[in-house]
Amino acid sequence: MNWLARIFHRRRFRSELSEEIRAHLDELTEQLVAKGISPEEARAAARREFGNVFRIEEDSVEVWRWPRLEDFLIDIRYGLRLLAKDPGFITIAVFTLALGIGANTAIFTVADAAWLRSWPGQSPKQLAKLLAATPQGTDNYFSFPDYSDLERQVHSFEGIAAWSRHAKTLRVGTDSQSVLDDLVSPNYFTVLGVAPQLGHVFSLEPDQACTAVVVISDSLWKRAFHSDRDLVGKQVSLNGGSYTVIGVAPPHFHGLEPGVPTDLWLPVATEYDASQLRDRHNRDFELLARLRSGVSPGQARVELQTVGRRLADAYPATDKARDIRLLSESERLRKAIVPVFVLMTLIGLVMLICCANVAGLILARSQTRHREIAVRLALGAGRFRLLRQLLTESSLLAVSSALLGLLFARWLLTMQPAFMPPSDFALGLDLRINLSVIAFTVLLSALTVLVVGLAPALQALKPDLASALKDDTFSRFSLARGFGTRSLFVVAEIAMSVVLLTASGLLVRSLLFSHRIDLGFDSQRNLIFFDLAPGVANYHAEQSAVYFTLVSRQIAAIPGVSRATFARRVLLSDSGGGATLPVSIPGVELPQGQQNIPIKFNAVAPGYFQTVGTHLLGGRFFSNADISSTAGVVIISSTLALRYWPRHNALGQHLIAAGKDCEVVGIVEDAKINHIHESTEPYLYVPFAQVPSNEGTLIVEALDDPRLLVASVRNRIRDVNPDVPVTVRTLPYLMRQAFWQDQMSCSFVVALSLLGMFLAAVGLYGVIAFTVNQRRREIGIRMALGAENRNVLALILAEGLKLTALGTVIGLLVSLAAMRILAGALYGIKPTDPPAFLTAATIAILVAAVSSYFPARRAARVDPIDALRYE
Amino acid sequence: MKSQEPVQRDLFPGALEMMVLRTLQREPLHGYALAQAIKRYSNDLLHIEEGSLYPALQRLLKSGSVNAEWRISSTNRRVRVYRLTADGARHLEREVSHFERMLEGITRVLAPGES
Repeated sequence: MNWLARIFHRRRFRSELSEEIRAHLDELTEQLVAKGISPEEARAAARREFGNVFRIEEDSVEVWRWPRLEDFLIDIRYGLRLLAKDPGFITIAVFTLALGIGANTAIFTVADAAWLRSWPGQSPKQLAKLLAATPQGTDNYFSFPDYSDLERQVHSFEGIAAWSRHAKTLRVGTDSQSVLDDLVSPNYFTVLGVAPQLGHVFSLEPDQACTAVVVISDSLWKRAFHSDRDLVGKQVSLNGGSYTVIGVAPPHFHGLEPGVPTDLWLPVATEYDASQLRDRHNRDFELLARLRSGVSPGQARVELQTVGRRLADAYPATDKARDIRLLSESERLRKAIVPVFVLMTLIGLVMLICCANVAGLILARSQTRHREIAVRLALGAGRFRLLRQLLTESSLLAVSSALLGLLFARWLLTMQPAFMPPSDFALGLDLRINLSVIAFTVLLSALTVLVVGLAPALQALKPDLASALKDDTFSRFSLARGFGTRSLFVVAEIAMSVVLLTASGLLVRSLLFSHRIDLGFDSQRNLIFFDLAPGVANYHAEQSAVYFTLVSRQIAAIPGVSRATFARRVLLSDSGGGATLPVSIPGVELPQGQQNIPIKFNAVAPGYFQTVGTHLLGGRFFSNADISSTAGVVIISSTLALRYWPRHNALGQHLIAAGKDCEVVGIVEDAKINHIHESTEPYLYVPFAQVPSNEGTLIVEALDDPRLLVASVRNRIRDVNPDVPVTVRTLPYLMRQAFWQDQMSCSFVVALSLLGMFLAAVGLYGVIAFTVNQRRREIGIRMALGAENRNVLALILAEGLKLTALGTVIGLLVSLAAMRILAGALYGIKPTDPPAFLTAATIAILVAAVSSYFPARRAARVDPIDALRYE
Repeated sequence: MKSQEPVQRDLFPGALEMMVLRTLQREPLHGYALAQAIKRYSNDLLHIEEGSLYPALQRLLKSGSVNAEWRISSTNRRVRVYRLTADGARHLEREVSHFERMLEGITRVLAPGES
């Protein structure tokens, strides 16, 4: 501490020392004067006696010096001063590295969260996943009785936790929301070693296993209950049932599936009755076991196999040929290494490109420093000391880039929700910049220092002094050799970014075209979808039918509602669209062994087609008369009509759907069912009222802004019965969901191509700046001989465009060959789409022109006298 | 630390420090008084550049053998008075016994006649 204090209080230390020495000299002088010597002589004699004051002060200060640290501080100060002199350079360099470090840190964080993080819980090394190897492949799931047998019979484990993922509707006050729940064995939290932050976890007492209790996640507690500290002991409504909250899980415990966080946990007995718990056919549960301490995974494996074989013998119908395996934590991580390794290689490549570019910049700059270094070497500076100085400078770069990069990564990670598919659930990986990520960043920056700093530093220290001081022809010669490879590197970078740009162009244009796909309904309407589940409020299908009628009557009366109708399935909804009706058609021959044709269907109320905007091609829509009548009627899609009645009109024909004879009363255009890119297939519409169900979607068309209607519609629905959960979606939301995947891959490639283009621009800038420095004298001579600024500008720009043109041509040729792999993902355009190629080339050339303009401008400003005298 | 110690020494390394410590053991002194005391005790036999005391004092301060505080001298000047610490006393004892052994060795080598 004292040392440090002295380093920073150097000035005071010196002045005190001076004062002490002055007092000494004064005293000495006084004594001499007292002996009768004249004051001037006495002063001189005292100084002689004392010795060299300056040297003595220096020596005294030297005693306290901490040479390493102080030299380091000097290096840093010197480095900062040098960098500050060239703000353009430092900005580009730091930005390039920060971009690389930031992007890579973000990617690493995702990889870490998705694959590398251990099981949440105490001593995760003791935890092991149980799997079943079957002839069909590995099965993650077990039946509950199998779980109970394993838990009871395998003694290598302290315990086995079982969980099964479900979704429910949670109602808080008047709001309903979808939540993901895990049905778990009562020992779930105990096996994991997760202690609640509030309340307690499930009791292991068998008699309490069936009570309706729930543990909720920290995130749900904050989201839905505003961190209510008195929540424990209160009742919450789940799917209409009442559950007592007994605990709140700790923050950062999101269940056992990364990316799909659990909102709440229920003991399995609350949902499964005794017969379900005995059903060995129903494999719903994933298992995680905790090894007893001192038991190796190998020992546990042997015991598991024995118990597994016993089960197979006892229950051959369900458990035969299921070889129970154990995936220990170390094995799991080892398996995860493969994707991580691929990712890391990519990261390494990107980082290397960033570093190479910045090294190029430094090299371009180091030419001007060449003489400085030579002078310092000539004046006796140690080579090691100079090397350290250069490395300190690149460390400065690396440290500031790492800090900026971390900020950038944090920003990228906060964007996660934007990258998640639109969903009713709170999806998302638990992304945290934790210690290992920071360590990773530090490692990246260390690598950066080495790559960025060492090469130019060694190069700078290489020249023999005499020739470097005399003139720089020698250095020009040695540096010029590196120039060829660096140009090639830049050409490659440009080519690569042209490939990426072409891909982006194709994907963007394809996305634009997909928005024009005829969906078979009107995607511009002001539609709101209210998913109603009266089943949750214990309605039978018949009661539900009454309920739906009641609701639609209520809603139609709301001002601002233009139309209201019901349907079983929602347009483009990713779930539930696969349900089929068994259909047989008189006169249509079926392949042997097939009883009927499964045809996808929707049950729709009158007004459905008019509301969503699906056009009628023939016949009529459903009418109110179809509700009361029991006579079977169907409306079919044009594909269905053409496939089974290719020769004559399908109207008036009959088919048998789910055993009921129905008349085809209408034919409508084909509509997309589950996905915008699906090919059309036969589709069937039946009257909503004729297929009773206790689930349905109310579709409301608003006269204007649909958002204004949501609250009043919701209130009306609640008036009818507050216990029926409601989920609201708008048509734009559904469309976003439908386009999400295309949108995402498009954005990703665009971002990648922008990054590529930026790096290529920096690389080109480095090379051109280098050329300009190198040709300074030549430019000076040209200007002295009468070349004008614009001639010089053109000369240098041409240099940049030459490299760019080469890179662009190569890039376009590669794209021509490579874009064929995109063919399947493109809609409406060919992989050789000329506008995409043209745009890519134009962007590349424009960017290249800008990045070579700056060094060219500097070249044009060269003062010929200066340039010639410089040598 | 640099390899060539720039301090010019007429004595063997550590001799000056030893003398300073011994002198301070008698009484706490400031720089000038210390220089005069050493001269007096040595009967001016040793030539010591007075200024060279200061780096030596800094070394002793750094190793904790002495401590210092600002006082007003008898001639009414603000001076730094150095005082031997317990550590310094131990250090001095070690150094002195080391020095005596060395001196004995040198004396034996220089003694005429014995082989």
